Amino acid sequence: MVRLNISGMPTLEVNRKLRELVQQEDEITVENPHSVHNFATALKGKARITVEGSTGFYTGGFLQGPTILIKGNTGLYTGDNMGSGEIIIEMNTGSNCAPSMVGGTIVIKGHSGSRAGWGMKGGNLIVCGNVGLWSGKMTLGGRIIVLGKVGTGIGESMYDGVIHVLDAEVEDKLGGNVTVKPIADSEKKEVETLFKKYGIEQSVDSFRSIVPKVYGRHDYVMFKPTHRKRAEV
Amino acid sequence: MCGIAGLIAKERSDLGDDLVNMLKELVHRGRDATGVALYEQREDIQARITLTDPSFEKDLHQIIQNYGQISNSKIYKGVGIFTFFEGSIAMDPEQISQLHWDIDSHPNLCVHSLDNHLKVYKDQGSAEDLVAVHQVDVGACTHGIGHVRLATESVENINFAHPFVSYLYPGLSLVHNGQFTNYFNMRRKLESMGVRFKTANDTEMAAHFIAYEMKEKGKDLESALHAALDTFDGIFTIMVATDNQIGAFRDRLAFKPVVIYEQNGGMVLFGSEQISLTPIISDVYATEMEPGGVKVWSV
Repeated sequence: MVRLNISGMPTLEVNRKLRELVQQEDEITVENPHSVHNFATALKGKARITVEGSTGFYTGGFLQGPTILIKGNTGLYTGDNMGSGEIIIEMNTGSNCAPSMVGGTIVIKGHSGSRAGWGMKGGNLIVCGNVGLWSGKMTLGGRIIVLGKVGTGIGESMYDGVIHVLDAEVEDKLGGNVTVKPIADSEKKEVETLFKKYGIEQSVDSFRSIVPKVYGRHDYVMFKPTHRKRAEV
Repeated sequence: MCGIAGLIAKERSDLGDDLVNMLKELVHRGRDATGVALYEQREDIQARITLTDPSFEKDLHQIIQNYGQISNSKIYKGVGIFTFFEGSIAMDPEQISQLHWDIDSHPNLCVHSLDNHLKVYKDQGSAEDLVAVHQVDVGACTHGIGHVRLATESVENINFAHPFVSYLYPGLSLVHNGQFTNYFNMRRKLESMGVRFKTANDTEMAAHFIAYEMKEKGKDLESALHAALDTFDGIFTIMVATDNQIGAFRDRLAFKPVVIYEQNGGMVLFGSEQISLTPIISDVYATEMEPGGVKVWSV
């Protein structure tokens, strides 16, 4: 257990220190984050980092392994390209959280902004509050769970993956190429396990799943060159 | 990039300072120029005008004296090369548009604001530079809008900075984040209808278009904004203020951000980013405006 006061410290220095500490310590507590941008990016290891405050843009980008608990808000692009590990945010995040996320879990106890989980390829994104416009846009895989209201255009142009929602009016807010169906029993178990792990008290029975109508590459006719026959002489 | 901010708050004592503090938080979105448009609860007509050189003060006095008497005037140097004139004019309110255009017709003068409520402070640099040189000494205000500029579409000149006003509707001010792709077509169309342009900035077209819709076609702000949304092409998140309303609208692809927070007491906060709301309320969940959305708030 080590305490790290990063007040006034440049971002490069913060991340260099964290990279060292992650190799040596199991528990790291960060004090006075003052919404520092690019916090804990490209961090590899197994430590548990607790942040006593809010962090800025690109928090936990390219994360591999550690658990980050943020006791405040985060800015936009939280968990950008995250590989594995956990990010738990006790308050709200900005827009575009978990973009192109490959694995791991992000839990947002508050609300999130627009385009939450866009281009996700794997892992889990759990939002206990509301999400903004175009959430789950162009998702390629993974799981998004939203307990609150969703914004318009949810799941726009999804390729793969699933969005579990509670919002009763979701039919009016669907994006293109998606449809709503009841949650499958196998999915219920997986969601229940996640909820138990992160202490979320919510019954999984009333969830519904948003899935793509057409999986993978959408209907697209490849251009085929046609050879014009030479006129016979 | 550009950043916009706005505030409706009748009960706050120093709205000018509040708006400048909101713009200070947006400094990373542009530091070519910063401007605020504030609506005061006063009745006398006040002018803020730039001069390319202090020697043109004589010309300015000559133009204004055709309409009325100047009082409480001062002249001072801005952050850059421009000189600023500020003063009250005792004149017929019906003639404001005519005087506005007469001053703008002079190649070395440019009106920043000429109205009985509105006052526009804009100059090059960040919000800190603005308040270091200009005394934003406004009385009790009801609302205001502001802008930080990262010049992309026209020259880096403070007369091309936001908030823009229109001589067609002197009480209207407008801030814009984005670019218009049909500026030249729209400008030609407006010019053929008799509208005259002072600058080559695409946002001036938006100010004249909305002012024309309201003054010449008699529309209210909301229907004028709907007409603008249907006519403008490109990327735009725009806030428009009149002496009793603030309106906002956004293009259908929602390229440029705006978040809005409405408090129960009637206070409304607008900002390009959540961080710009923090000087007023430290932690709120502000919602993003819908793509293609148009909304008007009464003060």
